[in-house]
Amino acid sequence: MAMPVSGVPTQTPAAPAPAGSGHHVLARIGHAVRSNHKATVGTVLLLIFILIALFPGVIAHDSPTQDAYAPNLGISTAHLLGTNHYGQDLFSQLVYGTRNVLIIAFVVGLATTGIAVLIGVAAAYLGGGWDGTLNVLTDVLLVIPLFPLLIIIAAYAHGGTTLVLIAAITLTSWSYTARQLRAQALTLRNRDFLAAARVRGERQLYIIMVEVIPTMTSLIVASFLTNALYAVLFASSLQFIGLGDPNTVSWGTTLYWAENNAALQTGEPLWAVAPGACIAVLGAAFALLNYAFDEIGNPALRPVRKPRSKRA
Amino acid sequence: MRRLTRYGVIGVIVAAGMLLAGCTAGSSTTTSSGSGTSSAKAATNSTLTISNENGALWTCGFSPLNTSDTLLSVGFIYEPLVYVNPLQNGKTTPMLATAWKWGTGNKSLTFTIRQGVKWSDGTPMTAADVAYTFNLIKKYPALDLTGVWSVLSGVTTSGNTVTMNFSTTAVPYFYYIADQTPIVPEHIWSKMSNPQTDPNKNPVGTGPYLMSKCTPQNITYTANPHYWQPGEPKIAKIQYPAYTSNNTANDDLANGNAQWGAQYIPSIQTFYTSKSPDYHYWFPPTVNVSLVPNLTNSLLSNVKVREAMSYAINRSQVSGIGESGYEPPANQAGIVTPTFNALLNKPALATWGSSYDPTKAKALLESAGYHMGSDGVMTNAAGQQLKFTVINIGDYSDWVASMQVIQQDLKAIGIQITPNNLSNTDFDADLFYGKYQLAYYDQQTFGPSAYYELNNWLNSANTAPVGKSAASNYERYSNKATDALLDQYAATADPAQQAAIMNQIQEAMLRDVPIIPVVEAVDWYQYDTGAFSGWPTPGDPYAQPSAYAFPDNEQVLLHLAPK
Amino acid sequence: MRYALRRLGFFILTLWVAITLNFLLPRLMPGNPALAMMAKFHNQGVTPQTLHTLEILFGVNSHQSLIGQYFGYLHQIVTFNFGTSLDEYPASVTSVIGSAIWWTVGLVGITTVLAFILGTGLGIVSAWRRGGKLDSIVPPTFVITSAIPYFWVAMVLVLIFALTLHWFPSQGGYYVTTDTPGFNLTFFQDVVNHAFLPAFALLITTIGTWILTMRNTMITTLAEDYVRMARAKGLPSWRIMLDYAARNAILPNLTGFAMSLGFVVSGAILIEYVFNYPGVGYMLLQAVSGEDYPLMQGLFLLITVTVLFAILLADILTAILDPRTRAAR
Repeated sequence: MAMPVSGVPTQTPAAPAPAGSGHHVLARIGHAVRSNHKATVGTVLLLIFILIALFPGVIAHDSPTQDAYAPNLGISTAHLLGTNHYGQDLFSQLVYGTRNVLIIAFVVGLATTGIAVLIGVAAAYLGGGWDGTLNVLTDVLLVIPLFPLLIIIAAYAHGGTTLVLIAAITLTSWSYTARQLRAQALTLRNRDFLAAARVRGERQLYIIMVEVIPTMTSLIVASFLTNALYAVLFASSLQFIGLGDPNTVSWGTTLYWAENNAALQTGEPLWAVAPGACIAVLGAAFALLNYAFDEIGNPALRPVRKPRSKRA
Repeated sequence: MRRLTRYGVIGVIVAAGMLLAGCTAGSSTTTSSGSGTSSAKAATNSTLTISNENGALWTCGFSPLNTSDTLLSVGFIYEPLVYVNPLQNGKTTPMLATAWKWGTGNKSLTFTIRQGVKWSDGTPMTAADVAYTFNLIKKYPALDLTGVWSVLSGVTTSGNTVTMNFSTTAVPYFYYIADQTPIVPEHIWSKMSNPQTDPNKNPVGTGPYLMSKCTPQNITYTANPHYWQPGEPKIAKIQYPAYTSNNTANDDLANGNAQWGAQYIPSIQTFYTSKSPDYHYWFPPTVNVSLVPNLTNSLLSNVKVREAMSYAINRSQVSGIGESGYEPPANQAGIVTPTFNALLNKPALATWGSSYDPTKAKALLESAGYHMGSDGVMTNAAGQQLKFTVINIGDYSDWVASMQVIQQDLKAIGIQITPNNLSNTDFDADLFYGKYQLAYYDQQTFGPSAYYELNNWLNSANTAPVGKSAASNYERYSNKATDALLDQYAATADPAQQAAIMNQIQEAMLRDVPIIPVVEAVDWYQYDTGAFSGWPTPGDPYAQPSAYAFPDNEQVLLHLAPK
Repeated sequence: MRYALRRLGFFILTLWVAITLNFLLPRLMPGNPALAMMAKFHNQGVTPQTLHTLEILFGVNSHQSLIGQYFGYLHQIVTFNFGTSLDEYPASVTSVIGSAIWWTVGLVGITTVLAFILGTGLGIVSAWRRGGKLDSIVPPTFVITSAIPYFWVAMVLVLIFALTLHWFPSQGGYYVTTDTPGFNLTFFQDVVNHAFLPAFALLITTIGTWILTMRNTMITTLAEDYVRMARAKGLPSWRIMLDYAARNAILPNLTGFAMSLGFVVSGAILIEYVFNYPGVGYMLLQAVSGEDYPLMQGLFLLITVTVLFAILLADILTAILDPRTRAAR
């Protein structure tokens, strides 16, 4: 699993200037994506994967589960990545598996970010005892090592279906982004535009929903990307070690079967290498986008054009 | 300029450090792998290394009456009364007993105990030790691993003979009494405060080997200089490493570090046999792996549905794809071939016809009142559909793969099954208590005849109603005629009568289809003829060849000689 | 002082949560451990009668209430009695863990320190020369490597260096049949030989984050006034880089070090799994597949306590070295 790429949590990330209403923010994001090379690459990759997940039948013509062909065939035009030990077409398995992976990534990403926003912003706004309790809860979950905990949960659940994996990962990985969001919400709390809204007589909930959260959009998007990335890595790792459902078609489960059949030692390396490469590329897409949003959010991190005059 | 120098120096130091580490690691690769393999090869002249992945480290307990330690102690250190070879229809070899005889009505069995045998601490072994062993496992039922006291009433000695008295005729129990019960020394075990939990760390036995060193990672056995067979054993030392992963165990076989394997090796040609002309393997079939229907289920209780399932499964395909061809297809008569070929009821099977006949399967379903629904699932007039869940052990990836093939085969005739891969614990709980519709399982009861497995499956004494734990008849099959046949078999020692009864039992299997055998489970076995000679082979099946089969492993060790 | 006490309090609280979690989770899963043991010996030919035998031996019926069990459990934890391992019956959990722990400490400890040093160094240099060649290659490369699953890196390394080139062994900690553990040179060489690839895999996957976080905090620090002051004073560049900027930037990084331990742990588990390296992570996965619940619980607690302890240490260290943290709280 990647460690958090987007900076260290104890420092408050530089809050962007108040943007006003929502759609301006979206336009800003769109422009930022286009102008930042990393964001562009990341977005394109992600879109390709989404397309593959939506229309797998268009790209792969074989059933991923049917043991229809001769085993251990090499790469050919009929089988772009060859067949595995059971005579299944590897390319189809990867294509059809994309859907399961992306579902996990997006559902966990959204759910986790949702919980994090709820808890982080609530902690910042409710203050006092609530803040203290939520803080403690967040910090406790933050330091308990997540992967061993997930292993234990999945072990007791005797191997999870996708739903179990999603639930387990969501319930345990929201703490890091909750902390970041709380930190940013705290800095915003005393800003002028919010004081103005309070003076106007707006309700607390309105202020939170309409003024604060849209301002934090870039951080929320970055959190979503981080959480989606972790979801993919955690879920595939659990499936790889056999704690997923071996009958689902997913990249992690393909790796599980490859490992079980000693794919590397029996001359079928593609069976093990290809699904891992897919995970790596999808992960890279999320990471690049995340990195790009970091730069968008914190102008100090943006790439420096080579200065005309050399420094010291 | 100064900056550069400083960075340069740091950089060079770091790079040099890494290179150095890499080089020493690299050179130690050549030396230690060189010395590793050469010392392994040199040692093979007098040292046999076993590759049997057990999934855990050794606890260094050697009690032959404790299931976790039996495979490490029985055969190496402890011996039975008689060796019975299941692969040669029960051919016997006297071990600690030199002769035996059934009494009238087969209600008693008398063994003459061999004289001149010594325990490894020098004390002579006598008939008293044999009687002690049996009375020990009577006193502590947890040690009675094969349940012999369910049929025995008493064990007495007289001079150098031991007589077992039976409460009920149970001729097949000869295998459990004579072959599967290791004899332990009275003078050591009577002093234990709790024989059930005593780890027996310094085992004293009559067998060909002594346990000389045990660490969690490896056990070393050395030859017993006072073993009662002269000139035996011929191999001076045995190493038995504790492998926790299949891959490591397979690797050691492939590179020659281990010579006797008991492994499941995927793609065995590429992985293993192609590495040396001396590498061989043989997988003798033992018991059936079957699709087990819950006969209390209303739809599955119809024998035509079960017959249809049997005809619909392409067993060769399951064997080829799910089991990489290692486990041969089974037959509906339930007789494992070629191991028990002689018992096969050929005429009955001829009437049954081809084992893979989807057309016949569909016809059977139609005659039972089912028609193909619009969703591709067979439905009857009452609207009931042939949809079932099948429980399977998720850990056994080859069973999961086999089930995928079975699923596709049944789908072709309109039966939809959904696999439910469970953990071992959950699977056993569901199976034993009857909380399932279909299951995939094998009975680990191999013996010198097909009777042992079939008795477990078919005898109603071994079953229980749904909600209570069944001993081995999980499908809840109960047929008085079959029970009578099985009891008759247990009462006779005459091979001709036994064969006739087995024929009738096969007819029951074909008529009632209580279980659907799919493939035949095998003993895993790899061997290196370049290092040792005397291995069991299909042409000379003098014992079950797996290192984990006891006490057959002793027979293998006594036949082996260094090259 | 107050700060240290607060951190200690937090440590104890989290420890309590972890222990209670450990207790509660298995209670959601009823089952007969003897069945698990029997299934494990499935291939070795165990008869159904033996099941009953095992049930007698393991004494599965507990009649205590949940609260009663909980206090009994707490008492056991405090007295370091973690029960008996099922797989390695009758060995105790502590003795079984004891055999594996040094392998993981060696592998993870050394690799993490190396990754920290190298990663931080590269991060410093990369930030110092913003816009230079290093800075344009390093961040994108390591952003991508940080997203690669650990086990895949391990598998690729095994494929290339062990199976194709035969430079290193592909599994294990040492050759069990030919080497005896002890302070001899052959054993040591063997250990290094077997540890090289796993360590390298762990290094590759964890170094990226050090580089990136160090670089990011360095950049922020370089914009500070006192750095400008140092430049204005005419101090040599390397001195500003190390004594002024890096020294202040490294402290937030230190906190990150402690937090990322959780991730290093997960990486170690997966890498040990691929290499069958006999450490604590590998043992955890073995316990899972063997349904050895006592061992699993013991390992989870061990990992959690180690991580918590390391974080506590890092927090206290930060408090000692960085006055800003004390003031901020």
